[in-house]
Amino acid sequence: MNGRELSLLVACLVAIVVFSVASPHYATSGNAVTVLRNSVELLLIGLGMTLLLAMGGIDVSIGIVMGLAAIAIGRILGADGSPFLALVAGPAVGALLGCVTAAVVVLGRVPAIVGTLGLLGVYRTAVFALLGGQWLSGLPSNLTDLLAATVLGIPVPALVIAIAYLVVWLAVRRTPYGLHLLAIGNSEEKARLSGIPVIKVRFMTFVVSGVLTGIAATFYVATYRNVEMSVGSTSALDAIAAVILGGTSILGGRCSLLGTVLGVLLLRILQNGLLLIGVPSLWQPVVTGVLIIGVLGFEAVSNRLPLTRFQRARA
Amino acid sequence: MTAPFLVARNIAKRFGALTALANVDLEIRSGEVLALLGDNGAGKSTFIKILAGAHPPSDGELLIEGNAVAFSSPKDAAASGIATIFQELALSENLSIAENVFLGRELKRSIFGVPFLKRAEMRQRVDGLLQELDAHISDPEAPVGSLSGGQRQAVAICRALNLNARLVIMDEPTAALAVAETRKVLALTRRLAGRGCAVVLISHNISEVFEVADRIVVFRRGRKVAERLAAETNHEEVVSLITGAHPDVRALEKTN
Repeated sequence: MNGRELSLLVACLVAIVVFSVASPHYATSGNAVTVLRNSVELLLIGLGMTLLLAMGGIDVSIGIVMGLAAIAIGRILGADGSPFLALVAGPAVGALLGCVTAAVVVLGRVPAIVGTLGLLGVYRTAVFALLGGQWLSGLPSNLTDLLAATVLGIPVPALVIAIAYLVVWLAVRRTPYGLHLLAIGNSEEKARLSGIPVIKVRFMTFVVSGVLTGIAATFYVATYRNVEMSVGSTSALDAIAAVILGGTSILGGRCSLLGTVLGVLLLRILQNGLLLIGVPSLWQPVVTGVLIIGVLGFEAVSNRLPLTRFQRARA
Repeated sequence: MTAPFLVARNIAKRFGALTALANVDLEIRSGEVLALLGDNGAGKSTFIKILAGAHPPSDGELLIEGNAVAFSSPKDAAASGIATIFQELALSENLSIAENVFLGRELKRSIFGVPFLKRAEMRQRVDGLLQELDAHISDPEAPVGSLSGGQRQAVAICRALNLNARLVIMDEPTAALAVAETRKVLALTRRLAGRGCAVVLISHNISEVFEVADRIVVFRRGRKVAERLAAETNHEEVVSLITGAHPDVRALEKTN
């Protein structure tokens, strides 16, 4: 655990103590479950976003990708489809949309921030067209029941997140893929000159991010049993905030998966706590936005000191 | 004289209407340091990028040990035994020395079809290479971005050696180095040739070139205008070849 991760952990604990004092409803086991429950989708999306930022990419359309996957799952459940089909639908739609993003950004060479912003516009309209101005609601509970199960006493969502974390961690820290990802994030041209299959690695990473987002959509539908018009509209902002908080460089070349997990938890703890002490939920994006600006501002100032950039890269 | 490792025949490179390189014929021999000289924009960098597989030539052919080769990527060139140490050093500053030396060609073991890195073995190999090159680096786990210019040069050479390169192309290896580090890198260059590598050296420093090169080739305005054995020419002649003041170059440029 490096300094950044440790300070995030401390920040989480401080926030918990402060909110416990400020609100009598805060320090309950029910609320702890709520915070963890609310973190599930963001943890999965955040893992993918960590990979994207590490290689110098980004995807601001990722929340709406989750929305589209959620609509696909909702339609299957609404038509009395099998919950197992619904389980496959999320990752499948996520992978498909990941391919679309990769086609635009990697093959089409459109800068990721612009390409995914363009896709965000397209996908938003697609969500509107697919829902026709109406929520998908009153979905059957079969998928919910499936994912509310426990395996050896561990709730399925926790198990899925643990597996996803382990797989991504192994890929990044123990296989050539991780080195290639970080080399691309440092400099695409140098990575290419080193013989790294840059296009393949970048394409694959967008698809992986899509699949993780599709899994997130599955949990979203299982939990809420409806899909609303604004589905996923703050997820990209939240995910980018959490990943940057965790110490992954917005410029690429450096990433922390543990940092992302802690960043997600801190964000959700803050959002939940502020709500409980009476701050309207309308203010949540303000908190997220200020966190992003604060962290990047702090890094910009401290990176002016010579050598810190690369020293920190190893930490 | 040994057969050439690489022969370039009639190589040309055009970028749209711009001709960066035309009619270049060149032989590169194993165990020999060949220096490429020329002014900025003379075509040296374009030529080595073709050798390195970073650009395809518009015309002409490359032969390695008599067999025609066509590179569509730096990986192809590397597979044919060509390693390039670029001016801007294609090292990843955020990765460690061992990670850089093996980048793109990692040692791995397959567990259930998943390629896992053999970190300890890579580290061991790199420690051996650094020792062989007499390069002292206090913390081999440090990111390459925190190393000095000469140390980075040593890492790049390690990378070339580790690729079992038979031709090492060095693009201005001493451009950004202090005197002591320059001496070390020049010694490394000779050591590479001594191991039987063919070495192509690009440099602007003519006295440096005379120190290490066996043969000197001069580029001017996208053409090869002269080729001399280092022992049979001198500083003044080389300067006049580069600037175009030499009668040979004048005659050549008049006929074109």
